Amino acid sequence: MVVAGDFAAAPKRSRSITAREVDVTAHIEIRDVVKRFGAATVIDHLSLSIDPNEFMVFLGPSGCGKSTLLRMIAGLESVDEGTISINGQRIDNLPPGQRDIAMVFQSYALYPHMTVADNMAFGLRNIGVAANVISARVAEAGRMLEIGHLLERKPGQLSGGQRQRVAIGRAIVKEPKAFLFDEPLSNLDAALRVRTRVELAQLRHRVKSTMIFVTHDQIEAMTLADRIVVMNNRKIEQIGTPMEIYSRPATRFVATFVGSPTMNFVPVRVAGGGAGGVSVTLGDGTSVKTAVPAMKLEPGEFTLGIRAEGVRVAPNGQGVTTGTVDVLERLGDRTLVYTKLKDGSVVVAEDIGYSRVAVNDTVSLSIDGSRVHLFDASDRAWHCEEGING
Amino acid sequence: MSRSTSIMGREFGDRLVLALVIVFALIMLAPVLWVIGLSLKANAELMADTNSVFRAPYTVMNYFNILANSSVFRWILNSLIVSTCLTIGTLILCSLAGYGFARLNFPGRDILFVAVLLGLAVPEQAVLIARHQIFGILKLHNTYQGLILPGLSAPFGVFLMTQYFRAIPKELDEAALLDNASRFKIFWKVLLPLTVPAQATLGIFTFLWSWNDYFWPLISGTKNTMFTLTVGMASTQTNFAQSEGLGFLMAQAIFAGAPILILYLFFQKYIVTAVSGAAVR
Amino acid sequence: MAEALVSSQASLSSPALTAQRAPRANINASQWRNALFIAPYLFFFVTMLVFPLIWGIWLSFHKADTFGVGKFVGLANYARLFGDKIFLQSVGNTFYFVLLTAPALALLGLFLALALNRQTRSAAFLRAAFFSSSVLSVTIVTLIWRIVFIPDFGLLATIYGWFGAPAPAFLSSPDLSMIAIAIATIWWCVGLPMMLFLSALQQIPGEIYEAAALDNANRWQTFRSITLPSIKRTFILVLLIQVVMQFQLFGQARLMTQGGPNNTSKPIVMYIYDVAFKRWDLGMGAAASEVLFVLILIAAMAQFVLTRRRGEN
Repeated sequence: MVVAGDFAAAPKRSRSITAREVDVTAHIEIRDVVKRFGAATVIDHLSLSIDPNEFMVFLGPSGCGKSTLLRMIAGLESVDEGTISINGQRIDNLPPGQRDIAMVFQSYALYPHMTVADNMAFGLRNIGVAANVISARVAEAGRMLEIGHLLERKPGQLSGGQRQRVAIGRAIVKEPKAFLFDEPLSNLDAALRVRTRVELAQLRHRVKSTMIFVTHDQIEAMTLADRIVVMNNRKIEQIGTPMEIYSRPATRFVATFVGSPTMNFVPVRVAGGGAGGVSVTLGDGTSVKTAVPAMKLEPGEFTLGIRAEGVRVAPNGQGVTTGTVDVLERLGDRTLVYTKLKDGSVVVAEDIGYSRVAVNDTVSLSIDGSRVHLFDASDRAWHCEEGING
Repeated sequence: MSRSTSIMGREFGDRLVLALVIVFALIMLAPVLWVIGLSLKANAELMADTNSVFRAPYTVMNYFNILANSSVFRWILNSLIVSTCLTIGTLILCSLAGYGFARLNFPGRDILFVAVLLGLAVPEQAVLIARHQIFGILKLHNTYQGLILPGLSAPFGVFLMTQYFRAIPKELDEAALLDNASRFKIFWKVLLPLTVPAQATLGIFTFLWSWNDYFWPLISGTKNTMFTLTVGMASTQTNFAQSEGLGFLMAQAIFAGAPILILYLFFQKYIVTAVSGAAVR
Repeated sequence: MAEALVSSQASLSSPALTAQRAPRANINASQWRNALFIAPYLFFFVTMLVFPLIWGIWLSFHKADTFGVGKFVGLANYARLFGDKIFLQSVGNTFYFVLLTAPALALLGLFLALALNRQTRSAAFLRAAFFSSSVLSVTIVTLIWRIVFIPDFGLLATIYGWFGAPAPAFLSSPDLSMIAIAIATIWWCVGLPMMLFLSALQQIPGEIYEAAALDNANRWQTFRSITLPSIKRTFILVLLIQVVMQFQLFGQARLMTQGGPNNTSKPIVMYIYDVAFKRWDLGMGAAASEVLFVLILIAAMAQFVLTRRRGEN
């Protein structure tokens, strides 16, 4: 079915099902990659290594370059400098079709005039896979994704969730070395998004392959990822497991971007010196003993970061400082208490679900020194270490 | 009080508008009815008194005369050949070019596209004389190629198809690229099936334009056997009223106009789209 | 160029990569082979449009007939042209005709669009009917209208006859011949402006009208303060499209009056036709075409400037 006069005829490859056990997954190495659009640099000397079978999530605000990086791996954007290789073989000079990867688009990009089965088979036919192999793989994908009964429909006759499955199915049948997902859940409504997220997590264990998933949603990133790459402003801010990202954010940006509600930030003074945890002084004069090793820090102005769960409404007078309650958010299992300290800085504290606090109350706040992060003037983070008293 | 007057005023305004529309509709219709009437009358009767149109007897003799002896069929055949070839050629050329301009990058693309758009502003008369001389040298006059080829340069279709291809999400191309499809395959298998509405619009537009074109066929197809229907019908008008008789001429007009009107009724939707599409530029 | 620079820098900074100087894969790269999609059309565009256009300008400076280009005569063709009373008359006739038809078509089209811009079946039918004449060829249109205007057998003559009056000699009177052509042209062409106005009217969001109704605006106020401003741009567009189209009057004049009587209804295009294809003076015909081209370009420029500037506001 190859049309005569193909300009960029691809080499014919046909892989049998047995062949896939051998070389099924990919180690992706991105080295010193640069991308420019005209005068603007979108990605600036970025390096990254993705392990075989890893589920890697690129997380960041829109415009941080995460989608561009994904599209560079796919071959949809050119690489201006640096290299991208899969299993040691350079791919950034290959056309997209020959990189042995599959992509699920945000808009799904299903071919509207082809049936579901044809949508899945199109790519396989283009590389000359035998018809019986194609139909077997399509049937298998249909079973796995529970869209077997929809194979003869056209995309226009499907719901958003079904289209999403077809898009994933189209990627699965190709049995690629790597799957690329470009915000695949953002076009679904909230309930369906949660369900699909869970299904993706299940699928990830059935399909052994490297997966790269781009999102701006921290919950998707936290729940799906083996490792997260947090990106901001053309650069990688941090690479780590979800819990590393959450509990030891490398920069103030990561601390702000991950976690809900947003981490509290309060300007503090570090007195410095001595062994053990450093003591800091808040704007209202309160002194807090932290578990951040003092010997590493120069004395001076820092920003203290602490999540709401590290700040608690303490029973009468037992806290280290006091604040006035501005807003209450009752979430059922817990209550978020927005308070204002004496120097005007805003701190969100946590209290039990049936909190008896009311707006305009003055409450006593305790601060857990072992959950404190300190950020220096360049927004680099200093974390607590075990064995040091907070 | 004021409310009721405003309603009265509204009703009066409505009626005035309605009356005017009806008057215009009658002006639109009357000449056509007159022509139909004349075509159904024997010539001798008309010569005596044209008011005879309003009374029986009516006859379809004039229409039979067309079937019996007339070059009309040859002209219709010529028009069909020219318009069909031109339409198919235009669809092929403009689809390819539209895809190229909308999706692919090549040296000089943007300047070329502007040049094609500027081509829209060139009136036919500015190229006719030179083209006539060139076609004379190439001995293309009084051939079908001579009638068809100039129409293939019309920039409107390129413009229309480019706009249409641009409106198709680019992710489809990207998905197909990842599916190892070549550019031509993407054009042929993925995008072209999605442009059917635009193809229909452009096709009908081109066919109508070609069918009704007058100036170029007039100066290029000068032999009676190479007349298109439009030119052929014009040639019979010069010897109006005398030779074959009014009724016959009118029957010919109806006979020539009916197919295109029927085509219009069938494809009204696409013609309207073509017209409004042209407006959006 | 810039790309080449970048990749050479890359290889300098990482000498390990110089070995593989494979071209960067870039699906958006500017490549000559991509132009293959444009090439077929471009061939016809250049040979049938661009080249004849330039050849025509060249011709206008030469003495030429069908058999070839004669000697260079400079601006002599243009000088002869502007010395020819009939040419000047044909320019005047064309402007007169444009003045007769373009505003009338725009206003009539606007009126019909406003009256028929509703979702009823009868409106849809009338829209189709008013547009139907536009699909006919000029030959049929002129046949129909000659049989209206013609003395003795014409519709007009018959109607006047009922009142015992002689019908005005539309086709043979120097004062009326252009008007007769204008009437037939308006009848033929009114569909396009109507359709353009209809599509403009349908782009006005319905909420604006609902808001106006809530503000107690009456029909005239609504029309003046909402409808008219919204279609102002379309009105200019329609008017200028009609100016450009009617400048090219040919078939109606040739078939209804042969430009007569005494050249009073001869438009520029017909003058070109006569000079080039009856007298076979191609050089002078080409010169006349260039004059028409310039006139039309001015109108097209006016359209571009007027509509773009309004679009920016």
